[in-house]
Amino acid sequence: MNLLQVEGLTKSYKRGFIPRKTEVLKGLSFSVPAGTVTGFLGANGAGKTTTMRCILGHDYADGGKVDFFGKPLDVEGRRRIGFLPERPYFYEHLSGVEFLEFYANLSGKWKKADLKARIDQLLKRVDLTFAKDRLLRTYSKGMLQKIGLAQALVHEPELVILDEPMSGLDPDGRMALADIIVETAKKGTAVFFTSHLLHDTERLCERLIVIKGGATIYEGSTDALLDRGGVEFEINFVEGGQRKQHKVPTQEQLQPELKRLLAAGATIIEVRRLRPTLEEIFVNMALRGSEARP
Amino acid sequence: MRPIWILAKNTFKEVIRDRILYALLLFAVMLIGLSLALGQLSFAEQERISANFGLSAIHLVAIALAIFIGSNLVYKEIEKKTILTILVRPISRLQFILGKALGLSMLIAAMTAALAAILMLVFYGLNMKIDERFAIVLAGLFAEALILLGFTLVFSMFTKPLLVVCFSVGIFLIGHWQGSLQFFAKKAEGGVLPAVAWVVNHALPDLDRVNWKDLVLYNQPIDMPGKLMALGYALAWFVFCVCISAMLFKRKDVG
Repeated sequence: MNLLQVEGLTKSYKRGFIPRKTEVLKGLSFSVPAGTVTGFLGANGAGKTTTMRCILGHDYADGGKVDFFGKPLDVEGRRRIGFLPERPYFYEHLSGVEFLEFYANLSGKWKKADLKARIDQLLKRVDLTFAKDRLLRTYSKGMLQKIGLAQALVHEPELVILDEPMSGLDPDGRMALADIIVETAKKGTAVFFTSHLLHDTERLCERLIVIKGGATIYEGSTDALLDRGGVEFEINFVEGGQRKQHKVPTQEQLQPELKRLLAAGATIIEVRRLRPTLEEIFVNMALRGSEARP
Repeated sequence: MRPIWILAKNTFKEVIRDRILYALLLFAVMLIGLSLALGQLSFAEQERISANFGLSAIHLVAIALAIFIGSNLVYKEIEKKTILTILVRPISRLQFILGKALGLSMLIAAMTAALAAILMLVFYGLNMKIDERFAIVLAGLFAEALILLGFTLVFSMFTKPLLVVCFSVGIFLIGHWQGSLQFFAKKAEGGVLPAVAWVVNHALPDLDRVNWKDLVLYNQPIDMPGKLMALGYALAWFVFCVCISAMLFKRKDVG
């Protein structure tokens, strides 16, 4: 079942002193199935943030269809989604606890006693218990990102949408956030997020959607996309007391090559599957323009 | 109703924790204090001068809150992008506007009440009579602030805070000049003035209809049905403006 289904989304803006129409989304289509972690990739200006704005109803799309849980986003649907915007600014006059209470109450899910327990649990999970009574204006960027993630999760949504959740975080913070995303997905919540940090995306996402110029150029599994870049195998072995390395271009050639090496008295140390990184593939697709349609 | 109340409480809390509010409050308290000193300059009119100054201070604070805080009420949410996480919650855009408007209205009411309490201490010190007239005048000041808050909200739907403030101050000035404008329009023989006065009279509120300071200053008799009608008039303007704001906000891109 698709939690989010986008079909033929179009959006243009009028910009400039003498307004000129700029078409940002040109019939974008994709879906986010239940229980998956889906990455949403595109170069700067590809239309990622505009897509987020349009699907969540912050901006009105010119055309196309957006369904959450099988129907257009309504009040009931909003109870089932969580959202963390890019570079989040939050109410600085609230403390960490007040902030989470505010969003939980707006979602209308929790009773007072249960809410306290939920907030304590979330603050502990994002490692902010020590700052729970401090005003948000005293939080660092990393802390704001964490409390932002907590507000997106406070009402236990079925789908969490995160816009650049890891931008500006140090490696430690990124790892902590990645752990929370993995843990959230394990509990059955689908996660849909944009990121420029492709290493993290490759590690976290089982599905990817890549857009370019306001249209989808790839939608499918991360593995399938990585395999498109070509796979080869590297055999590390010892022969005649010397450590050597040999590359085999296809899986079909791997076993015969291994048998040949063993027959020749070589000791196999390691066989590695080599394929381009997501970063290399992404640069080819989204920046240089070669398409990789499924 | 619950989301409106939650948003209203948050708006109230946001402004109450803002230092600017306390600067404004301090300014009003100083004006009230000054009213005592100025009153002493006059031999016969001390009570009237003190009352006039004190009520004007409350008037000024209520209007300043409505216009200056009101001009940023929605703009700040969009500019700081806090609105993005609010509108994905199960609330409508109408509820958002109502929550923000209610929150600031509650704050104006609280500030009016707090300053009124201080002014009552001054009245008590001067052995002045405090009766229902005082409460009626305060209700009028609050009603005027509500009208201006409504207009400020409408203007903030399509322009930036600085212009919103200019427009709202314009409404405040025209609203208090309505009486004079209509008077001169009646005296004018032909020309465009009568037509302009007619349009202004029908398109903009007459703020002097809720300006009842003379009740306290000159101990005038209370025309309760008239006062209730005027409060209804103010409330109608406020509701009308909030509805227009909500309609404009419904189609606004906020991302």
